[in-house]
Amino acid sequence: MTAEPSENRVPRSARGPAAGVVALVVLVASGALLYDVAAVRTGHRAGAWRVRIAHELATRHLDSGWVLAAAGVAAALGCWLLWLAVAPGNRRWLALMRPPGALIDRAGVAALLEARALELTMVADARARVNRDRARVTLFGSADLAGAEAALTAELERIALASPLRLRLRNRPAKHRPPMH
Amino acid sequence: MSRVTVNRVLLGLAGLVLLVGALLVLAGGLDLYRVWHLGQPSWWPLHSPHRPVLSEAARTRWRNRLWWWPVVIGGLTVVAALAFAWLLAQLRRSSPTELALETPQRPGLTLRLRRAALIQALEAGAGALPEVARARVRLAGRLPRLQVRAQLLLDPGADVPATVGELEAGPLAQARTVLGGSTELPLDLRLRVSGPPRTRARAPRHPHRPRVI
Repeated sequence: MTAEPSENRVPRSARGPAAGVVALVVLVASGALLYDVAAVRTGHRAGAWRVRIAHELATRHLDSGWVLAAAGVAAALGCWLLWLAVAPGNRRWLALMRPPGALIDRAGVAALLEARALELTMVADARARVNRDRARVTLFGSADLAGAEAALTAELERIALASPLRLRLRNRPAKHRPPMH
Repeated sequence: MSRVTVNRVLLGLAGLVLLVGALLVLAGGLDLYRVWHLGQPSWWPLHSPHRPVLSEAARTRWRNRLWWWPVVIGGLTVVAALAFAWLLAQLRRSSPTELALETPQRPGLTLRLRRAALIQALEAGAGALPEVARARVRLAGRLPRLQVRAQLLLDPGADVPATVGELEAGPLAQARTVLGGSTELPLDLRLRVSGPPRTRARAPRHPHRPRVI
């Protein structure tokens, strides 16, 4: 189970909260039905909710609006649960190269890139957005783009992500006067 | 099977049940079998839009059979018990409150280390590293396969590999020494970095120029 350091990967999400909610819903539904069936078998009256549901199911036809709407909602919910079961999750994190199991969040990589960009000359402000394969940095000011690209590439290499990000740089005029170094 | 696999299989099963049921109702309700000229076998459920969803006759069809109520009650009990176990698996505390340490050089001596003490030592060690603003540590699993889950908040512009290296060489190495050689103590480390301080270098709208006399 121990991953090689070179192929450190983001683990698949455990889907704990979603699993807990689905388990709770199933438990409540089956528990209530079990209680009511047992009550009826021991000579008590059926609960009003079950009588109501059985009546609705027996009188509403398949083309009624309520039935179709409920089926639509159930289909969407089913698709979403299937997506949760299949998709890897943990999209917030990127794997670091070196110790196995070490992750850094994408906003953290963006913060490091911004901090490095703000150290450059003629950069008044910087905004970085990082998704899972690309980092987009917007520099405000009149910085030299080639130099900035070299510096930010070096910063990404210093962070040492397991799968390197592609760097996209763009320049915008400063909203205010840049500090003169 | 790990909790990840169990959760994903059961979530997929629940989604599949919902989706198939909903598609059957939609296909019957919108009369898609006739519109698309699809034939279906005679036992196919929910095939006509003018049928009720669950008629009185369908609901009570097997009521008088001897096996019906035991099957219903048994099935519901099994489903409720499995759902309860699944829910508990999400809420369970992940590691025991005390860890029994091996003392191979002194037979007869058992050392017990409180989990909270180990967590506190790891958190203090990690928080004292340079460039670490906040550290939060949890332990998961049992002793031979005990796992450290650490969340660190790093200072702006921190040197990530250096900090991770110091964490491994410092607090984690100490914890491995304390727990004995047989524990590998794998690491699940999640790093966050706070943003750079933004000095408002805005030029004043009416600059006070020094008066030149």
